[in-house]
Amino acid sequence: MSINQLIFRSLRKNLKNYYLYVFALIFAVALYFSFVTLQYDPALNEMKGTVKGAAAIRAASVLLIAIVGVFLFYANAIFIKRRSKEIGLFQLIGMTKGKIFRMLTAENFILYYSSLIIGIFIGFAGSKLLLMILFKVTNIEAIATLSFSEKALVQTLVVFSVIYLFIMLMNRWFIQKQTILSLFRVTSTTEVKKVSVLEMLIGIFGLVLILTGYYVSSKLFDGDFATINELFLAMAFILGSVIIGTYFFFKGTVSFLFYLLRKRKGGYLNIGEVLSLSSLMFRMKSNALLLTIITTVSALAIGLLSLSYISYYSAGQTARNTVAADFSFMNQEDAKRFTEALKEKGIPYKEKVIDVIQVKADLTSILENVDSSILNVDLAAMPVPVIRDSDVETIDLPPDQTLFTGYQDYLAQFMPFKKSGQIQLKGKHEGIKLRYLGLEKTYYISYRFTYGFPTVIVDETIFERLKKDIDPKIQKESTVYIGIHISDEEKVEKADDMFQTMNFHAPADSRLAIISNQKYQFGLIMFIVAFLGLTFLITSGCILYFKQMDEGQDEQPNYTILRKLGFTQGDLLSGIQGKQLFNFGIPLILGLSHSYFAVRSGWFFFGTELWMPMLTVMLVYTALYSIFGILSVLYYKKMIKEAL
Amino acid sequence: MIILEASNIYKSYGNKFNKQEVLKGLDIRVEKGEFLSIMGPSGSGKTTLLNVLSSIDRVSQGMIKIEGKDIVGMKEKQLAEFRKNHLGFIFQEYNLLDTLTVKENVLLPLSITKTPKKEAEQKFAELATELGIYEIKDKYPNEISGGQKQRTSAARAFIHEPSIIFADEPTGALDSKSASDLLNKLQHLNRKRKATIVMVTHDPVAASFSSRVIFIKDGQVYTQLNKGNETRQAFFHDIMKTQGVLGGVQHEH
Repeated sequence: MSINQLIFRSLRKNLKNYYLYVFALIFAVALYFSFVTLQYDPALNEMKGTVKGAAAIRAASVLLIAIVGVFLFYANAIFIKRRSKEIGLFQLIGMTKGKIFRMLTAENFILYYSSLIIGIFIGFAGSKLLLMILFKVTNIEAIATLSFSEKALVQTLVVFSVIYLFIMLMNRWFIQKQTILSLFRVTSTTEVKKVSVLEMLIGIFGLVLILTGYYVSSKLFDGDFATINELFLAMAFILGSVIIGTYFFFKGTVSFLFYLLRKRKGGYLNIGEVLSLSSLMFRMKSNALLLTIITTVSALAIGLLSLSYISYYSAGQTARNTVAADFSFMNQEDAKRFTEALKEKGIPYKEKVIDVIQVKADLTSILENVDSSILNVDLAAMPVPVIRDSDVETIDLPPDQTLFTGYQDYLAQFMPFKKSGQIQLKGKHEGIKLRYLGLEKTYYISYRFTYGFPTVIVDETIFERLKKDIDPKIQKESTVYIGIHISDEEKVEKADDMFQTMNFHAPADSRLAIISNQKYQFGLIMFIVAFLGLTFLITSGCILYFKQMDEGQDEQPNYTILRKLGFTQGDLLSGIQGKQLFNFGIPLILGLSHSYFAVRSGWFFFGTELWMPMLTVMLVYTALYSIFGILSVLYYKKMIKEAL
Repeated sequence: MIILEASNIYKSYGNKFNKQEVLKGLDIRVEKGEFLSIMGPSGSGKTTLLNVLSSIDRVSQGMIKIEGKDIVGMKEKQLAEFRKNHLGFIFQEYNLLDTLTVKENVLLPLSITKTPKKEAEQKFAELATELGIYEIKDKYPNEISGGQKQRTSAARAFIHEPSIIFADEPTGALDSKSASDLLNKLQHLNRKRKATIVMVTHDPVAASFSSRVIFIKDGQVYTQLNKGNETRQAFFHDIMKTQGVLGGVQHEH
């Protein structure tokens, strides 16, 4: 039998081993190729120019290479390990290592490049889907057509050929360092035998590092770090301490807790503990790094996804806060022309007219920390917009009280208000002291009056007094806000089309126009981040799943023994579920917690809503991630079933 | 008292067109407290018989009763339940879990029966001392010798006091010193605890430790020998003779 025949035969016989590897490859190629196709698509040129998208996309594609590379290396490592016996056998019958390597390389070459071609086809089909999604999130109305980009093809081929070379190098190294003996013998030693004091200390140190990181992150934008350099240092510190802490956590803390738990059992373990506790301890040391990577990658993905979703999600809220209606005007005449046009088209609407005056206010006694230097305003005489309570249906205030409403979050971070207190409104001559009742979330007038500061609501009588005593210098171009609400939600778009064609004397805003502008600006970034985030998710899920497949195969003899001893499949499966809950659950929970602190430290730069978008991202991530956990349990189920 | 009774059991592998009959109408009875060996040339169906008797494999036809309970008609779950309460196993490959210490391996069958911890501890101490593995109780299987592994395996089979212990070539992977060591211990436990042992072996020396030997050939019982009041040496020679007639490979002594 010639070596060529041998190659084809082992290829055929090994297809079962290969399918995992082939899947990983096709998936990675498809992902990369579709992204690169997008990168070179002419439809994106316009967008790239607007949001510095070119740089973002290029950075993303480099990051993608890194993820895909690590992923393929890992899949290859598992794959070659599975074939170590075969390699040993070839050596035993007298094949040189060089020859075995050439054989593996040839075998791999056929497989690698055929998967590459399939992956490129799938990627090409996928890129059209991606483009459609991209157009949707950026509110661009265009038909997604794709041209096959030669540049993208060449780039993909080059990148994956380089990865192929590296994989071959890795295989070469693997074959080189193996002896015939070690290929046949699977060394199996438990990795956590005794826990030393040092490991205990490492475990505790890990926890301390994580908590310190969390603490510093919560102080990040409180003004403790004034310069950009300090800020960067602080961020690097947080990143480092949390990642190293996580590693120590897996290496020390978990081993230590497991050890204590096991010791307390005094050798009397039940089936669940046999399959979860002892099996986890058996591989704890070598798994620590992998679990740390998975945790970090998950945290990164959840964090980035949350932030970008916050900005996207907030587009609607930001627009609503900016306009405070569907359309807003500062001029009665403009409003009248627009409403007449609405009537003509038969679009029902409601009009809201609110008088707004600017009054200087002394807010010093209700501010939490009076450090006005950052904001460059005089807190004792700050101009604020004032409206009367009768213009707001739901609020009726006594003359000596006032309510604040609508305060932008990033300002609120730097200038938080107290729950209650005393303020003074200063007209040109007269000052009026009012009891401050608190801050509400609703926005009643547009950003053009407030500039992000809260609106002050006072009793009608007070409002009249202030109006008479008005200071003309600090007034905006208008003292009246006109908000138009379209009663029929479906007709807002039609009204917006009309709005776009009309010219107005004074500044006027449309909520829809602001939303689409926001989406246009953040859409591309969000798209890239979401793409990377999903790639992170899928690759880390796959890696964990592959790892579990590997472990499952290693442990199958144990399942045989246990089933012979009289444990049912159900008994074994419940133990496995416990183990998977740890393998998938702990990195997920840590990742969620890491990303929560990361997002919390700076979310207000990205939008107006924290909880809804963040929780949505976390839930979706958890759900998608759980799929891999469930898949691995199903795989184990199969292993257990076949064990007897 | 008869503890295991199998009559007219058939076992065949393969499909309709390519059928291979391994067991062809075999009858076996095992008394309580007996140490029975099953011998036969390779391919005679020894291991299949043991698998079938111990409920790991199913018969194609026939009846098997253990302690009066018919195990042929039992469902998978019932069988598992039955195995863990009534049967103990010692295999040729030691079959210990690498992830567990010696003690944890031995105590495994007790965790199913919910034996109180104190009682389990006591049972372990007693049995482990008898088998000489008490000192290595906190070691992992890869840190101990083959003989120690097999004694650990034996301890696991005895710990929950099963009705029958099945041993499949328990000395197959051991050197002669460890083998006779293990067999002495098995004999001792058989006498002291009145434990019933059914052992498959091809080694006449191992078989000579038991009280009765059944020879099977081509899926049927060929003959059987009782030790009675003979010495082990005399019994060994009887076994050798029978084996010679049987057509197995003759031992030169």
